[in-house]
Amino acid sequence: MNIDNAKAQMKKGVLEYCILSILANKDCYASELINELKASKLIVVEGTLYPLLTRQKNAGLLTYRWEESTQGPPRKYYTLTEIGKEFLKELDGSWKDLVKAVDSINKK
Amino acid sequence: MTQTISINLGGLLFHIDDEAFKILDNYLNAIHRQFKNETEKNDIIADIEARLAELLAERIDRKKDLVSLNDVNAIIAIMGEPHDFVDDEEPQPRAQREKRRRTKASRRMYRDSDNRILGGVCSGLGAYFSIDPWIFRTIFIVFSIFGFVGIIIYFILWVTIPEALTTAQKLEMHGKPINVENIKNTVKQEFENVKRRMNL
Repeated sequence: MNIDNAKAQMKKGVLEYCILSILANKDCYASELINELKASKLIVVEGTLYPLLTRQKNAGLLTYRWEESTQGPPRKYYTLTEIGKEFLKELDGSWKDLVKAVDSINKK
Repeated sequence: MTQTISINLGGLLFHIDDEAFKILDNYLNAIHRQFKNETEKNDIIADIEARLAELLAERIDRKKDLVSLNDVNAIIAIMGEPHDFVDDEEPQPRAQREKRRRTKASRRMYRDSDNRILGGVCSGLGAYFSIDPWIFRTIFIVFSIFGFVGIIIYFILWVTIPEALTTAQKLEMHGKPINVENIKNTVKQEFENVKRRMNL
């Protein structure tokens, strides 16, 4: 069991959850998402994000629209779908349960 | 003096020096290879290119600055190495897709000497089209009675169509995928055939 692998596995689920969570607050284009995720140290290299976004889009959790930008080419703005919102609600619940579970075990 | 190249990256124009261009080009090719089995490969790559362009634009003044090797290395470090991009939920369906493609049966024409009357041409045709070889035999007999056309065509086919010798070829003749299960069945069947012939 290698520590990096264990950490990566842990982060993976949380990362998916956090993407949805960020998008629930406001629609973002990729760079905004990246900045938030980097600030909270959830991603190290940016490339990991794109296949993940595509998979969430294919799963119907999120969708995107193109918006003109003053600084350059049009940007892809991601937004949650209704399914995505439901999905996030589920994850919110299970996240709270997990935190509670880990806390109660660690306190013993 | 060095040569510079103009590139369009994610819809933005950059002037890049030759060496930096080569590194960037290699990097993008590696990304293409990484996602080659992805259904939405083009979307993912377009997103990555757009982000790379944005990162480059932040580093330099696009109107006058030249993109240097340092700039390219810096944005690659931010984006990360392509082999780290793998989303480990993806590989499984991809492996299954490949497996399906590999075992998808291709049909080829062979002479079927196991069920032959003369050269195995008609039994081979029958196996290829999955119909009774007697249909072809009847056609050849009829055309052989009315002139020699049937005989001539039969001999041409006899010479040109290879005989199914190996188990793999026999499976291919029937359009069955070549896998362990089918090979086992065919071998078993051949063994039965030999046994039957010994008894006769």
